[in-house]
Amino acid sequence: MHPTVVMSNHVHVYVSQAHKGELVMGAGVDSYNGYGQRGSFHLIERQMAAALELFPVFARAHVLRTWGGIVDVTPDASPIIGPTPVGNLFLNCGWGTGGFKATPASGWVYAHAIATGEPHPLAEAFTLERFTTGALIDEHGAAAVAH
Amino acid sequence: MTRREPAVTADTLRRSPLGHLAAVFAEHSTPAEPSPAGEPSRAAEPSRAAEPSIAAERCARLREVPFLAQLDLQLEPGGPAAQRIAAALGTPLPTAPNSVAEAGELRVLWLGPQEWLVIGPDGSAPATAALLSAALRGEPGSVVDVSANRTTLELSGRTAREVLAKGCALDLHPRAFGPGDCAQTLLSTVHVILDQIDRTDAGPTYRLLVRGSFAQYLSDWLLDAMEEYRHPPLTP
Amino acid sequence: MLLIACPWCGEREELEFHYGGQAHVAHPAEPEGLSDSQWGEYLFVRDNPKGPFAERWSHSAGCRRWFNVVRHTVTHEILAVYPAGQPKPVILP
Ligand SMILES: Cc1cc2nc3c(=O)[nH]c(=O)nc-3n(C[C@H](O)[C@H](O)[C@H](O)COP(=O)(O)OP(=O)(O)OC[C@H]3O[C@@H](n4cnc5c(N)ncnc54)[C@H](O)[C@@H]3O)c2cc1C
Ligand SMILES: [Zn+2]
Repeated sequence: MHPTVVMSNHVHVYVSQAHKGELVMGAGVDSYNGYGQRGSFHLIERQMAAALELFPVFARAHVLRTWGGIVDVTPDASPIIGPTPVGNLFLNCGWGTGGFKATPASGWVYAHAIATGEPHPLAEAFTLERFTTGALIDEHGAAAVAH
Repeated sequence: MTRREPAVTADTLRRSPLGHLAAVFAEHSTPAEPSPAGEPSRAAEPSRAAEPSIAAERCARLREVPFLAQLDLQLEPGGPAAQRIAAALGTPLPTAPNSVAEAGELRVLWLGPQEWLVIGPDGSAPATAALLSAALRGEPGSVVDVSANRTTLELSGRTAREVLAKGCALDLHPRAFGPGDCAQTLLSTVHVILDQIDRTDAGPTYRLLVRGSFAQYLSDWLLDAMEEYRHPPLTP
Repeated sequence: MLLIACPWCGEREELEFHYGGQAHVAHPAEPEGLSDSQWGEYLFVRDNPKGPFAERWSHSAGCRRWFNVVRHTVTHEILAVYPAGQPKPVILP
């Protein structure tokens, strides 16, 4: 049983092994808006090719199932977290495909925003306001959606 | 004693992106040699030994056609400049998408509603550029020498279309694509301009114009895709 | 994999195209008269309907021309293809 998650931004795939031995792999995002939740064939094909590049032995494995979800991506690919101009409406969204792993930190700073009505100092740069001020977090490569 | 060095000219210095692969292309364009005696091999089996001609017929052929002149021409079709250029070339600019017009040694490929690629033999770029620029005569448009952008691979033979089908989504069956057709598309993820220049009993001949930095990758891919046709077919 | 009919080249696979987001977002006539939030609205705020959506595509690996498409964002069905600059076709539900 493989003990870690392996991820490669170079060939673009991430893979981990479930307790029953199955491999779970993920990768790209469709370039267009969609609610289909199917996953495009060419993205799946590219992801398989990337996995084989890392682990040629995976060529012997069979695809059991594929799954796609809805990925919420913001214009600068970073999450939006904090209060909004609407009273008592708070946002914690735009996590792309990185929202699980960020949960401890995002929960912490989001709770602060809800309790105080002010963004947590760690998350100040991540409020909705940046799309008015222009202070975008221009780190697409490092952002949550890119793993 | 003085050694006589060959004269250094632009011709002796210039290198095409795939010049170093000429011998490899030639080798892969012939049927594979049967494996040396002693090693188990399908080709060496008695029942197969009499079939080398099948492999020769199946074999696709690949070569580089280096240094073709390529001029990117942009202008408004149907205008006076287009008419002057048609007169200068001796053929109208093709306006049907993805079609080719021939003008003597030149091939004029449709690249877009206001864009063409004029392909000519090695060395013809300056004269053709002068001809086109003169015909453009200051009207909106441009003539740009893009010869160094791409090199050209020529793939031919009865199985050439099958080779392309492994990495190209276009329908290249003769009912859909033939001499006089061209396309800008992807071949194994690489941007190519595909130009079918011929179709004979010996199969189609395609030219693939590919950017220099992608040429080695595309050649590797093509050689791999061609490999199975160097051997007799597998029959159960 | 979408099969998109380029107005010039005909049907080609999605891989040959580049997505350009929502169509018919007009550049403000007088940008200098806008507040920061109005300008931000123009730059960043887009529709995101579940259903027919008019959007821009470019045939980037082909003839490199931009054009508009109405695509259903759930079924991915392409309901219309039309040149950039033309009004959005009326799509019946
Ligand atoms: C294919 C895919 C792969 C991913 N892979 C990773 C990964 O490897 N690592 C990682 O860190 N992240 C990954 N993510 C991202 C992660 O799943 C999300 O960022 C995270 O789940 C978002 O959590 P959330 O609680 O903000 O929203 P959600 O989990 O979307 O929860 C929102 C909830 O609100 C409910 N809801 C919606 N409307 C209403 C309503 N009107 N009333 C009541 N309830 C409502 C919904 O039913 C839902 O349960 C992936 C996402 C996808 C789609
Ligand atoms: Zn096109």
